[in-house]
Amino acid sequence: MGSTGTTETIHSSVIDFAPYIVLLPMIAFPIILLFGRLFNGNKVWISTFKEGGIFALVTMATSLLLAILLIKDYIGAYGDDSKSALHVFDWFSSAMWNGGATTTEISFGFGLYIDHITVMLLFIASFLCLLINTFAIGYMNTDPINDNRNHRFYAEFVLFCAGMLGMILADSFLWLFIFWELMGLCSYLLIGFYYERPSAAYAAKKAFLTTRVGDVFLMVGLAMLWHLFGSLDYAVVFDSDNIAAVDPASLQWALGMMFIGAVGKSAQFPLHVWLPDAMEGPTPVSALIHAATMVNAGLYLVARMFPFFGAEAMHGELVDLAFIIASIGGITAVMAASIAFVQMDLKKVLAYSTMSQLAYIFTGLGCALWLANSLDWHNDDDAHYIVIVAFGAALFHLFNHAMAKGMLFMASGAVIHEVHHAHHHLHHDDHHHTPKELYMLSDYLTSKKLSTFEFFKTIDLDSSGEIDMFEFQTALKNTEVADLPPWEMGDLMKAVDLDGNGTINVPELDIVLAKIKGKTYEEHEHDDHHDDHFDAQSMENMGGLASKMPITATAMLVGSLSIMGFPLIGGFWSKEGIIANAWRVGLEDPRFFFPAACVLLGAAMTGFYMSRMWLKTFAGSPNNEVAAHVGPTNTWIKIPLFTLTFVTLGGILFAGMGFTHWAPDSGYALMSEKGLFEGIGYELGHAFANHDMFFFTLTYIAIFLGAIVGPGLALSLYGGALDEGETAKPWFTPILMLNAAIKGRYSWDNSAFATSSLSRALQNRLYFDHYYDMAMLKIVAAFSLKAAHADSKFIDGAIKTIESTSQSASTSLRKLTTGSARDYILMAAVGTLMLFALIWGVMA
Amino acid sequence: MIDPAWVSGLAALLFIIGLAGAFTRKNAIIVLMCIELMLNAANLQFAAAAVHHGDTTGWVYTLFAIAIAASEVAIGLAIFLAMYGKHESITLDDVNVLKN
Repeated sequence: MGSTGTTETIHSSVIDFAPYIVLLPMIAFPIILLFGRLFNGNKVWISTFKEGGIFALVTMATSLLLAILLIKDYIGAYGDDSKSALHVFDWFSSAMWNGGATTTEISFGFGLYIDHITVMLLFIASFLCLLINTFAIGYMNTDPINDNRNHRFYAEFVLFCAGMLGMILADSFLWLFIFWELMGLCSYLLIGFYYERPSAAYAAKKAFLTTRVGDVFLMVGLAMLWHLFGSLDYAVVFDSDNIAAVDPASLQWALGMMFIGAVGKSAQFPLHVWLPDAMEGPTPVSALIHAATMVNAGLYLVARMFPFFGAEAMHGELVDLAFIIASIGGITAVMAASIAFVQMDLKKVLAYSTMSQLAYIFTGLGCALWLANSLDWHNDDDAHYIVIVAFGAALFHLFNHAMAKGMLFMASGAVIHEVHHAHHHLHHDDHHHTPKELYMLSDYLTSKKLSTFEFFKTIDLDSSGEIDMFEFQTALKNTEVADLPPWEMGDLMKAVDLDGNGTINVPELDIVLAKIKGKTYEEHEHDDHHDDHFDAQSMENMGGLASKMPITATAMLVGSLSIMGFPLIGGFWSKEGIIANAWRVGLEDPRFFFPAACVLLGAAMTGFYMSRMWLKTFAGSPNNEVAAHVGPTNTWIKIPLFTLTFVTLGGILFAGMGFTHWAPDSGYALMSEKGLFEGIGYELGHAFANHDMFFFTLTYIAIFLGAIVGPGLALSLYGGALDEGETAKPWFTPILMLNAAIKGRYSWDNSAFATSSLSRALQNRLYFDHYYDMAMLKIVAAFSLKAAHADSKFIDGAIKTIESTSQSASTSLRKLTTGSARDYILMAAVGTLMLFALIWGVMA
Repeated sequence: MIDPAWVSGLAALLFIIGLAGAFTRKNAIIVLMCIELMLNAANLQFAAAAVHHGDTTGWVYTLFAIAIAASEVAIGLAIFLAMYGKHESITLDDVNVLKN
């Protein structure tokens, strides 16, 4: 049994290198930014260094390596009550006034705190950051819209990773908060990566402000915690003697405030509105924020509260908060899943799915916290096992969800990337985008009555017959057509340099100019992009992709099955655990029937919307010409998909190793009680042949709902067999055959639902954004007007009075300076006389 | 020998005449002369005090003051010349750029 309060150090020097896990990405941030600015447009920088992508990759790989060494060392050091701490540096110290004549010296430092939760999240974060970085190189660097600004992406990416890794490793709530905010900043920057799009700029602002609402509460919570404990260090606040000394009601309030922060960060009801909009960012960002890092931060914060709930002194005092946590989870699970039913945007389905699955984890945590708070688990071994496994199920779901969702987002990114590419290939092949400057050049030549050849002669200074980028740049500058910096010449060169040899000759320039002669930029580019409302993320533009993108389709299938809780695959083990524990608590405390029913219902809903997504994207016939021309994706993207597919499929191995027991219990080692195979056997028996009749039935109900009812409905509505002649991998065949059979036999008309007001409400995200906006307008805008009035009247008024008074005083004082020398002499004389009189008076 | 008190009284009288002249007259040269008068009144006072105390320090001060007065007059006249070049007048009332 893990006891709290003692601090053992890992007997090795590995931990001394642990701070570099955070420090390396933090150092890489300015370096990538600086190099990106310095070498912008440079060929080697773009092709070899991937505009900083390789730097970021090396950094993240080193971080992962250090993290794995640390984890290995840490797990190896099992037995000496494996908790580890390392003091890294002193930040500052300050004296606190105690109210009397005494002060207390308090010092703030940074250190690492390592236990099983840290280790688990450290692995998730560093592993996924590396894979997503790999994916990003394949995704970002092949999209022309990102040219010459990818370094900004990679710089912000590594800073984000530094924020997450730092938050996990930090040894106090203060540093947790600092890194938490660093992540908030990076999320703002990354969501708004395409800041030229108003929707992206809006989404970035929305995400930032919504999470800020939660963060204010978190700060209040931390201040309350500080007030209670006089410190925010884990070592102090988790100490059972210290916990015993505080007032339970106050502690519940402090933790409740902190929980609101977690709600904002993990996008739970009612602060969930930012997450779907955050899909405006590039797909690697969605994968990063919605799988690996930021959303897990809120869960981590709640998981960190476990020692408070588990303390003997708090026995039965914090159950209300546990209920609130579980209920928020239950509500969000059902709400988000229902909105996911009607989303057509691939990434938005995944966003709502993320919300819903995070809600599962919150419910799981809430139940585990209730158990820890209500059972006498310190003395009763059975109760101890129940508490630990309930907590472990939630943490295991965090792990499974992070892996599966990271993979799903990357797979969806691959699909979107290829659909976009196919669309571009089909519709924009004959004419490339022509930059505005060339139209201006064309106009210039027309107005000067110059032929292309004459113009070319004047700008080809060395008479070589070819002009390079710098000559072209100089020519544009001299003719006053355009004055562009070198890094913006790339597009222009690409548009004119038809044979791609890096220089321009007369025929090339002539062809390009002849094409646009007499046209204006606006009208031409308008019909060039007449179909640019094409949405590469919409499932309307997909269908039947299983034969074209086999690896992506497999990854998506495995990820979806894991999220659905399909038997034997990753998420099954943890999801069953969460549902079972919710009902277990429900039997003890009737209030918990509500979240328990929610998560059970959510299982069926998850089965439906995940199946719907997969079938609409990969099964059936292509919905349009674009979908029929999609090709396979590139290697950079395949690597992470491949890796994560196996991690997700290997969920049973983790379960067999006793992951659910290991994650929350510092005194337990992987495979310490049972071997791997015995463990797997135990888990299988526990899941499918439970001795307890209630849980036996519950398991099968959950499997029935999640793996048969939900997917069955989706199979009868969407998808179908692939087109004639299209062949898919053998493992898709049963699904596609089943789909075709069910759809053929049980096809039913859902247009009644599709046109119902419920469907419309779901499409409008249950009007949350609408009401929030209204509330903002009514309350905030009205308050702002009042505040502005008060400001101009009272605050400005006071300042203006001071100003006008001093002005008039100085005007009257200025009258004394007459400018006449004789007046000055008089004044000097009178002054001297007065001084004498004064001195005389004093002397006498 | 004249009582130094009389000399001191004369010095005070000369000083008051100089002071009154300095802030009543408009002509810069007259004002300068008045200033010299005040300076000499101070010299006379030094001399009277030296006799009264039987100390030669007062005489030394007087000599220094005369030397300074000479250079002061040179500078003053140079200023008046420059002033005349600029304003074509050495009437003090015409020069009031410092006003307000």
